Amino acid sequence: MIDPSLVANNVIDGVLMGLLYSLVALGLALVFGVMDIINFAHGDFVMIAAYLSWLLAMAFWLDPSIIAVITVPVFFLIGVAVYKLVIEPILGAEPLIQIAVTVGLGYVFQNVALGIWKAEPKSFPNPWFNFSIDLGPVTLTVAKLMAAAISLISLYLVHYLLTNTKFGLAIRATSANREVAPLMGINVRKVYAITFGLGIALTALGASLYMSWGQTNPYLGQSFSLLSWVIVAMGGLGGVVGVLYSGLIVGILEALGTTFFTASARLAVVYIAFFLLLWFRPRGLFARR
Amino acid sequence: MAETMLELKNVEAGYGEFRVLHGINLRVDKGEIVALVGPNGAGKTTTLRTILRMTTLYNGEIRFKGKDIRHLPTHKIVEEGVTMVPEGRGIFNPLTVYENLVAGAYTKKAQEKMDDTLEFVFSLFPRLKERRNQIAGTLSGGEAQMLAIARAIMSRPEVLMFDEPSLGLAPKIVLEVFDTVVKLRDEANMTILIVEQHVKNSLEIADRAYVMEMGQIVLEGEGKALLNDERLKKAYLII
Ligand SMILES: Nc1ncnc2c1ncn2[C@@H]1O[C@H](COP(=O)(O)OP(=O)(O)O)[C@@H](O)[C@H]1O
Ligand SMILES: [Mg+2]
Repeated sequence: MIDPSLVANNVIDGVLMGLLYSLVALGLALVFGVMDIINFAHGDFVMIAAYLSWLLAMAFWLDPSIIAVITVPVFFLIGVAVYKLVIEPILGAEPLIQIAVTVGLGYVFQNVALGIWKAEPKSFPNPWFNFSIDLGPVTLTVAKLMAAAISLISLYLVHYLLTNTKFGLAIRATSANREVAPLMGINVRKVYAITFGLGIALTALGASLYMSWGQTNPYLGQSFSLLSWVIVAMGGLGGVVGVLYSGLIVGILEALGTTFFTASARLAVVYIAFFLLLWFRPRGLFARR
Repeated sequence: MAETMLELKNVEAGYGEFRVLHGINLRVDKGEIVALVGPNGAGKTTTLRTILRMTTLYNGEIRFKGKDIRHLPTHKIVEEGVTMVPEGRGIFNPLTVYENLVAGAYTKKAQEKMDDTLEFVFSLFPRLKERRNQIAGTLSGGEAQMLAIARAIMSRPEVLMFDEPSLGLAPKIVLEVFDTVVKLRDEANMTILIVEQHVKNSLEIADRAYVMEMGQIVLEGEGKALLNDERLKKAYLII
């Protein structure tokens, strides 16, 4: 028999993690939706940002989640620079070239991390919020609760940017028709640069929050990439709300995988559920028609 | 003499290595309606796109009110006061009608005048006002064309170019589109360059027209005069 309070705890953990996954996946969804480029290095930006969070946390002896105030703007600028140097030259190129370039970028990141920090995991030894509180039968980790709340707020802010600001309208117009957007006076290259910067800034926020309890290694990006792809494929067409729901579903599935099978089966459970979903709804959860 | 708004001199342009335009000379004066007609594949769309720097320019001059605009990016040319209602309309389908219009007024200059312009386009197309909160992708073909025109007006262009605005529309709506083009010149002070396959209709409203074939201008003259030109009559079966 499986203990119901264990299930409840894991599901809550899944919801909290799901919100963090949504945050990271939103960056991928924005870049894909607006620029039609699949950034295969997306998760590796999370990994590099996790190392930067760890380094700065060690240097200032502050919790990594606080370090987000540095990593987020820095990664926004890194995102803009990577856009200019790496992405802009391959806009409109063959998909195979785009895949090769972004996969290659992720590979470079992994090898840089491996070269500098070796394969051994790094975590901040003095986290501030990595403790639990008991609420009746369930136990909550404060760091995860905080990460989930900040993720949710950030999802809302991005949603607000997209739906209630002039620049957000430019982003959505560009996403709808990048050929025609310039005829409105929209500078599409600028929209691309800022969208990519924003997408990368979100990976940094996710990474800094995650490091307030988690640990990083050079391969951390792989699971973040996989989960982000699944989330975007499932809900990407539904905008920010679609990403939010899909992230929650993925987080809960992962938690149930851990509960009923083993921790190492969690990604397999997510994937099997994903295949089943594609079987019934090949265009994702939020496809029209 | 009226001010020259657009002037193309010996323009050679195309897509990458593929040359389409072989030395185009074309002029549009203030307050004119100028038609550009010719068979499919002649390079009419390419000409309009070249003015907006959406092709590869190999040679020639392009001036807007005397200013060289060859090296401005598309969005800057729109800021200067030239835009286009593109072939196939290019509506932002997932956005609402209203959002499409607001997007049209993206430049600073256009944004300042947005309320007035909105009032004007809603008076021109009351249907769009009724449907302002509807998702643009759900509009009928005629409504979508009205939206494309309205959206272009929102940027307050001095020169408005139309690329086959009547394509795929019912005959009655085609006439409305031509009426609108004339209204924009007469009531909104716009200068018009229009590409059309309805050769007769467009020559009737045009002050002047250019006939294009295989990337070159083969004939030019006053709209009404061309309407009676024997060569053109034969080529386009104008009755
Ligand atoms: N995006 C493009 N890339 C390459 N060739 C193009 C493109 N658009 C048009 N062409 C070619 O340019 C020529 C002129 O096309 P176009 O300007 O669209 O003609 P028209 O508008 O007069 O029908 C055609 O041979 C067409 O195949
Ligand atoms: Mg054409």
